[in-house]
Amino acid sequence: MQRSILRDLLVLLGVFGLIWLAFSLFSYPEDPQLLSIEKEERLGEAYVDLILLNPMFREFENRQVDSAIRVIGDRLEGGLHDSEYNYRFVVFDSEMINAFTVPGGNILISTGLIGFCDTPEELASVMAHEMGHVEERHVLSRLVKELGIEILTSGDQYVIGEVTGLLTSTSFDRKQEEEADLFAAHLLEESAIEPRTLATLFRKLEEEMDNELMKHFEIISTHPNFRFRIREALSFKPAEDFEAKPIELDWEEIRGEL
Amino acid sequence: MKYHELPQPDQIETRVKEDAMGAYFMMFATSAIGIPLPLLNLVAAIIYYYVNRSKGKFVQFHTLQSLYSQIPVTLLNSGLVAWTIVNFVGDLNFTSFYWGYLVMVATANLVYFIFSIVGAVKARKGVFYYFLFFGKVAYHQVYQIRPERDSATLRNRPPGR
Repeated sequence: MQRSILRDLLVLLGVFGLIWLAFSLFSYPEDPQLLSIEKEERLGEAYVDLILLNPMFREFENRQVDSAIRVIGDRLEGGLHDSEYNYRFVVFDSEMINAFTVPGGNILISTGLIGFCDTPEELASVMAHEMGHVEERHVLSRLVKELGIEILTSGDQYVIGEVTGLLTSTSFDRKQEEEADLFAAHLLEESAIEPRTLATLFRKLEEEMDNELMKHFEIISTHPNFRFRIREALSFKPAEDFEAKPIELDWEEIRGEL
Repeated sequence: MKYHELPQPDQIETRVKEDAMGAYFMMFATSAIGIPLPLLNLVAAIIYYYVNRSKGKFVQFHTLQSLYSQIPVTLLNSGLVAWTIVNFVGDLNFTSFYWGYLVMVATANLVYFIFSIVGAVKARKGVFYYFLFFGKVAYHQVYQIRPERDSATLRNRPPGR
């Protein structure tokens, strides 16, 4: 009897041990929601520091430009409800027309993009679009999908270096771009900025589609579906009592600083 | 090793069968508190055993089988709750070992649930149903003839010569 009890015990331990082992080796689709905002912010800081060390993304330090970006950023953050992110907008010195999102609420904007925008509202629409990627955790989803949470959070300097390379050439799928567009439209409306400015900006970008300076710009990565996005942005209907308030900045002077 | 003879279904009173069945169903009654606090489930099972152990070997067997099988399930559930809390509080990653453990614990609970239902139904019919390992342990503990224990409980003895 005792031998038979022992055998049963071994069978039980073996079966359940195997279940644990087998399902540990199984590859699970990882959910970026499992990474806390605090951890994402810590990672983001490390990535931004490394990106800014790259001569191609050298930080552009100019008080007037910084303060203008802060004014636009504050207006947009004022329209956000229940965001867990502390946004940081960094301008980098590059003639490329570019802006991209780094995990943790970091948005990098090129001087080329600032120069390309004819109004601060146009720049606000790009920033709102990038904030959409942040809030929807699109960058993190992509990184988690490509690298997995464990590698991503390893803190290894080599890995961080590789990740920064991925971040500066990020492109999203069509669905994610459309989500970010819709988010931007709502955010612009909440921030008392005309939401259809996004369509104006898209149209201008479409006209310049063959411009070499735009080849890394993530916002146009869904070409040739760009027309659809212009139509969607134009068809966005703000509330009846919506009233746009201009962003009080001397935009020509700001652009003159670049 | 000798064992007491097992009673047949028609030799067991209905009340005794119901008490034996209760050992398994009691687990469902306490499952509401057992999910966040798994140890309370086990405490309830232990109380049920001590309250009902005097109702005969048939009841004793089923309550012990239910109690013993609940111990590892409770420990596994406690481990899962603790691991989850530690991950959240310490802002740690949910590793593949965690997910593997989660699946294993879920499987253990499911198996325990199914076996408990079958055990309850069989007990109500006055039938012995042995869980793997735990059934044999409970049977061994309850039905093994131990002269020192069994003679102490015998009050009526045949007349001396």
